[in-house]
Amino acid sequence: MMSPDTWTARLSEYVDDQLDAAERGALEAHLAGCADCVETVADLRGVKVRASALTDRPPAGDLWGGIAARIGVSPAPIARQRPGPRRWTFTLPQLAAAGVALVVGGAGLFWAGRASLTDRVGVVAVEPGPGVVDAPRVRPAHARETYDRAIADLERVLAENRAGLDTATIRILEESLRTIDRAIARAREALAGDPSDSYLNTHLAETMRRKLDLLRRAAALATASS
Amino acid sequence: MDELSAGARILNRTHVPDDAADVALAQSGDGHAFERLYRGHVARVHTLARRMTGPDHADELTQDVFVRAWEKLGTFRGEAAFGTWLHRLAVNLILSRRTRIGKDRQRFEGGDQALDLRSTAPPTTELAIDFETAIARLPNGARTVFVLHDVEGFRHDEIAHDLGIAVGTSKAQLHRARMLLRGHLEPKRRERGR
Repeated sequence: MMSPDTWTARLSEYVDDQLDAAERGALEAHLAGCADCVETVADLRGVKVRASALTDRPPAGDLWGGIAARIGVSPAPIARQRPGPRRWTFTLPQLAAAGVALVVGGAGLFWAGRASLTDRVGVVAVEPGPGVVDAPRVRPAHARETYDRAIADLERVLAENRAGLDTATIRILEESLRTIDRAIARAREALAGDPSDSYLNTHLAETMRRKLDLLRRAAALATASS
Repeated sequence: MDELSAGARILNRTHVPDDAADVALAQSGDGHAFERLYRGHVARVHTLARRMTGPDHADELTQDVFVRAWEKLGTFRGEAAFGTWLHRLAVNLILSRRTRIGKDRQRFEGGDQALDLRSTAPPTTELAIDFETAIARLPNGARTVFVLHDVEGFRHDEIAHDLGIAVGTSKAQLHRARMLLRGHLEPKRRERGR
């Protein structure tokens, strides 16, 4: 037979449902005749509820400047960045073949020959931007895996909530995805012979991001409607 | 500590698509992408640091967490959401500094006098508003276990492993923390808990 003090010490385990059946039964028998312990159980549950409802709060000041300085990144906030050319380091070494340029426009995709690509390379500068530095350990394969996983996640969400989209939206979505997938495949093919081509890498990365954005918007639409 | 609360898992899933592109870019050296990751997760990391160590060290620890994340980003394989990986890294780093910080904060060495466990005074709105402050005033061990268990959703066996203590000790510290905090519930929630 446990003393009341022993039960008091185990009330949190009771609240957390961590007592075995025999202990729980004995404790509940004790609770039937102990108003203090009943009150304590209610308070402990209240503390748990209060703890689970706590919200996160950002730091009073912006800590990015200090972090940026330590990792060698310009501390200029994203919002104040001047849009401009920068070196894109999202290289995918396994991609192959130079010769075709990929241009992703607002409404469609345009392919250009190698000659026009050469002209355009001058426009897409290769100077490093203020926020582009060498990562400590660049793992292109992991970057690719992460991207593929994100795409798979979005496609799964979309498939699960497809009923939330109307027919016209689905048609437009599928056409856009087919176009973008073709563009990505062609870009990879084009890069096979020149994986370091900054122009192709830039547009491949932009196209991949476009696919992410399209899927993200579609998934948001589908989940909001279903 | 693989298991998170249902809410945390939902949040992590929600953030996977957004984070994935920036993680990939940051792994390739894009500092702006890493800044976006910082801005998306800084509140959670800073809050964790503040709750576990107090306000005096939260800024420094938060910066250290993100610097460490940048250094370790190449090891992130996407097996969990980035937020989960970062949170695990933050917990590890904060716990590794806990002993030194604890020595700096003499009031945590004092133990029970920080809050009166025997207090039976009726809770007031002021006390309720200061629930975060009450957590901060908990004795060091009780606060750490309480934050990890009741706020972050870790299990006793996980906490015990990370802190190098027995599971029973973790349970005892949690109960101690809850008993100390029970007087700091707002009246409405205190009623609801009954």
